[in-house]
Amino acid sequence: MRKHRVLGIVLVAVLAFILVPFAQAQEKVVKIGSLFPMTGRAGLYGLDSVDAAEMAVEEINAKGGVAGYKLEFTNTDSKAKPADAVRIAKRYIDEDKVHFLFGVVSSAVGLALTEVSKQNKKIFIGTDHASTQLTVDKFQPYYFRVSNNTFQSMAAGALYLKELAQTKPWTTIAYVGPDYAYGHDQWNELKYNLDRFGVKYKIVGEYWPKLFAPDYTPFITSIIKDKPDILISGLWGGDSVAFIKQATPFGLFEKTLFCSPDAGGNYEVMSATGAELPLGLVLSARHHNNWPDTAANKEYVQKFFKKTGRYPTYAAEGAYAGILAIAQAVEKVGNPNDADKLVKALEGMKIQLPEDPEGFTSYIDPATHQIVQVQAVGVTVANDKFPPAKRMLGEWKIYKAEDLLPPKEYIESKQKK
Amino acid sequence: MEIRNNYKEIVFWAILFVIFGSLPIIGSSSYHLMLASHILLWGLFAVAFNMLWGVTGMLSFGQALYFGLGGYGVGLMVRHVGSDWFVPGIGLGLIAAAILSFAIGLLIIRVSGVFFTVLTLAFGQLVWQITFRWYEFTGGDDGIQGIIPPGILSNKLFYYYATLLIVIASIWLLRRISLSPLGVLLRCVRQNPNRVSFIGQSVRYSQLRIYIVSSVFSALAGGLMAGVDNSIHTDMLYWTTSGEVILMSVLGGIGQFFGPFIGTAVFIVIQEFVGAKTEYWPLIIGLIMMTMVLLLPRGLVGEFEALKTRLQSRMVADRG
Amino acid sequence: MDLSFLVVQLISGLSLATLLFLVASGLTLIFGVGNVFNFAHGSFYMLGAYFAYQTIAAFSANFWLATLAAGIGAGIAGMIAESLFLRRIYGRTEEGGFQILLTYSFILVIDDLVKIIWGTEYKTILRPEGLRGSIELFGITLPSYNLAIIGIGFVLVVVAWFILGRTRPGRIARATALDREMMNAMGVNVPLTMTLVFGIATMLGGFAGALAAPLRSVTPGAGIEVIIDSLIVVVIGGMGNFWGAWFGALILGEVIAFAVVLVPEWASVVSYVVMVLTLIFKPEGLFAPRSVRKV
Repeated sequence: MRKHRVLGIVLVAVLAFILVPFAQAQEKVVKIGSLFPMTGRAGLYGLDSVDAAEMAVEEINAKGGVAGYKLEFTNTDSKAKPADAVRIAKRYIDEDKVHFLFGVVSSAVGLALTEVSKQNKKIFIGTDHASTQLTVDKFQPYYFRVSNNTFQSMAAGALYLKELAQTKPWTTIAYVGPDYAYGHDQWNELKYNLDRFGVKYKIVGEYWPKLFAPDYTPFITSIIKDKPDILISGLWGGDSVAFIKQATPFGLFEKTLFCSPDAGGNYEVMSATGAELPLGLVLSARHHNNWPDTAANKEYVQKFFKKTGRYPTYAAEGAYAGILAIAQAVEKVGNPNDADKLVKALEGMKIQLPEDPEGFTSYIDPATHQIVQVQAVGVTVANDKFPPAKRMLGEWKIYKAEDLLPPKEYIESKQKK
Repeated sequence: MEIRNNYKEIVFWAILFVIFGSLPIIGSSSYHLMLASHILLWGLFAVAFNMLWGVTGMLSFGQALYFGLGGYGVGLMVRHVGSDWFVPGIGLGLIAAAILSFAIGLLIIRVSGVFFTVLTLAFGQLVWQITFRWYEFTGGDDGIQGIIPPGILSNKLFYYYATLLIVIASIWLLRRISLSPLGVLLRCVRQNPNRVSFIGQSVRYSQLRIYIVSSVFSALAGGLMAGVDNSIHTDMLYWTTSGEVILMSVLGGIGQFFGPFIGTAVFIVIQEFVGAKTEYWPLIIGLIMMTMVLLLPRGLVGEFEALKTRLQSRMVADRG
Repeated sequence: MDLSFLVVQLISGLSLATLLFLVASGLTLIFGVGNVFNFAHGSFYMLGAYFAYQTIAAFSANFWLATLAAGIGAGIAGMIAESLFLRRIYGRTEEGGFQILLTYSFILVIDDLVKIIWGTEYKTILRPEGLRGSIELFGITLPSYNLAIIGIGFVLVVVAWFILGRTRPGRIARATALDREMMNAMGVNVPLTMTLVFGIATMLGGFAGALAAPLRSVTPGAGIEVIIDSLIVVVIGGMGNFWGAWFGALILGEVIAFAVVLVPEWASVVSYVVMVLTLIFKPEGLFAPRSVRKV
């Protein structure tokens, strides 16, 4: 008797396995294979990205999908490891027959995946990784990025510093950033942009703690000795939190202006430091929960909060933007199967995003496949509307998208190398 | 004893040839080929690693160093000289691994037990950190992409069969070494180092030799891996890579020569399957690991053997 | 480099060293006394930080009470892990390897459990009341919390030295490390001793996690980031030696503190260099007993 039951279960399972693909094949779907990390330090961004992407997919499918297709989104934890990501991407392409590769937080994983995307002619939508290389030196036609890169953030930072010099003259500058590609890129790009905008400065210190270093005390005391007017920070996430917490009682932020234009203003930094976050730090991020003050942005943030019970980091908006871009491209082409036509559709595409202020629409630069967006740089002010954060950014300075793009010579000199 | 061993070996080689050799013929996708290549290369890495632990009793937590060195030999050649230098790059990795393992080996075989393990870990992390931050030369955390083997090797099918043949030849060679007088001596070292030195054999010299052998074959696996993934990354050198290869070996059984290879296949398939279904894969891998260590320490192959022996002896008893 | 900066940087290094030592102390204790290499020590450190966070969040408890609770919680977790799992592999051939594997599996399991319970968002613990500010000393600003931690580290060394060296339980524990069978024959309850020592070691880890939490971000995976540094400390100082760990941490902390100033580009590699130099000249560590060299 028991034997029969077991046999029955096995049969049903086998049948289900055979039938499931058929059932799916009945419906027309756009398959999006995503590779966000769900573990480790970057797991927070992965989780936010997946939640926001699912939110966008639900919104679009609720309206009946695009061009008769429903969106189907799957995420596999890439563990932020390039080798694993490559294998998963291969599976997505060969087995699951996805139409788009999607995601990733780490630039290293992004670089490995853009190689896969190039060889298999499969569009890869980059949402969070920041390395400028992907749209400059390592540019390939099937890669698109829907969030700002470090060059754009650093250009905004440089413009901010240029304006600051007119009201509050400064001369010396120091840098602290994680000792890997992301940290070094930011510093080089900042210096390049300061030169480009004709800002005079003197470097008094450069500091390279290792990524995920738990203790910054010796760096802090040494920075204080250098007495820089401006301290640029390229730290992100938990590292930024630890640095700020450790530096505050040393009085560092009273002696120098702290400026972190790429990831310093990301929401998790504010939620993790609460009331300990000093006022008057100059920070920015690729999306802000309280800027622009438009209905679209408010709706996006509240919807995310309702879905997850927390406020989004900027990673979330990147993923959200990526799904919107895919939907719009499929709508235009009429099907998700012709990668080359989709590339054409994405090039120059205008996408209305939560982070767009009144009168501006983000668009994808056809030459580099990099999204072009306005960047707002703010100063920490008291604001408890987004708990657990007690500080948010305010006193915004807005930088026009076109001013932040790398100039032609820069791209050409990089591509030649 | 000899005959049974032969029979087991024949089964292993037959499986290796038939399954991996026929994969492309039965119409597998390039994803399956990649998965199979990963099993073959990690399998070689695990067998080479087990030459140290299973055969000699020296647990290295730093073999990722040589695995990564193999990969970076290829990667650096391709990055700095050109993609035609893929094969010389593999050679470079092997030579570098031989030299470095000789130098490090001299330093670390002075201590044994957990001390040895920690030292291997320490050296592995040192090389990882240097690679990670020496951005101009190694590409740092960005890794190196676009490693496409030149000429006929760029054909995926050809590359796959080349990998298969090299892996089989290497494992066969390692098998010969483990059965050679050196291998026998090392097993004695594992059981009683003092006695070996009493009979006039240099323990350290033998250990150094096997450390170099293991490292060179790890580098070979790493070098070939670069051509499968078309990119390499500092993760190859990180301690978690060393940890994974230990885990694969334990899963298959460290007391068995072919155990680590079987363990690798099982591990990669589980990881692929579990990883696709849940983000809580570390929990599941952790639980599997605990089960293996606590309940099945002989590994899948070892436990299977033990079960067979028990059944056979019961059958004999029944007949008697 | 003027004198006052020299002093500041020395204190800075001392603060770094003390936190390194607090984490490494449990690792070295369980190795020296229990002969167990606990690769998951960092995970107990992380558990401590989360326990402290939870105690404060649930009972709005005082920081010091929460730290105490964190230590006790991590200690209990350690004792459970020891008595349910680790105990089963003592005395097995290849015990060392299986120890590392088993404790490595603890890392994976504890990390995911923490993620399931507390999520991936960073958690915050504030510095205790009264230690949030800083004090001025000869024109130097020093955070009072860092100074308090330096003091706690020093007290811990002295207390541990006293207990291990001058009391009967301490002597039993050290003797057990040398020969489990002999102690068993002499009527010492070896399994109980091992469980207790393991519990104390993980308690130290949890305690360190809670103390470090106000200065760091509390996230899953925090344990993996400290384990390699602690390992370096223990290797430099000589495994299993309490004073050694303290000196090892001190050397490492000061070397890093001055490398930051003198060779900033190589600051991230310096700890490995110190370790490798130690290994080349004294593979058993600077302060280890001489017996570990083999054959």
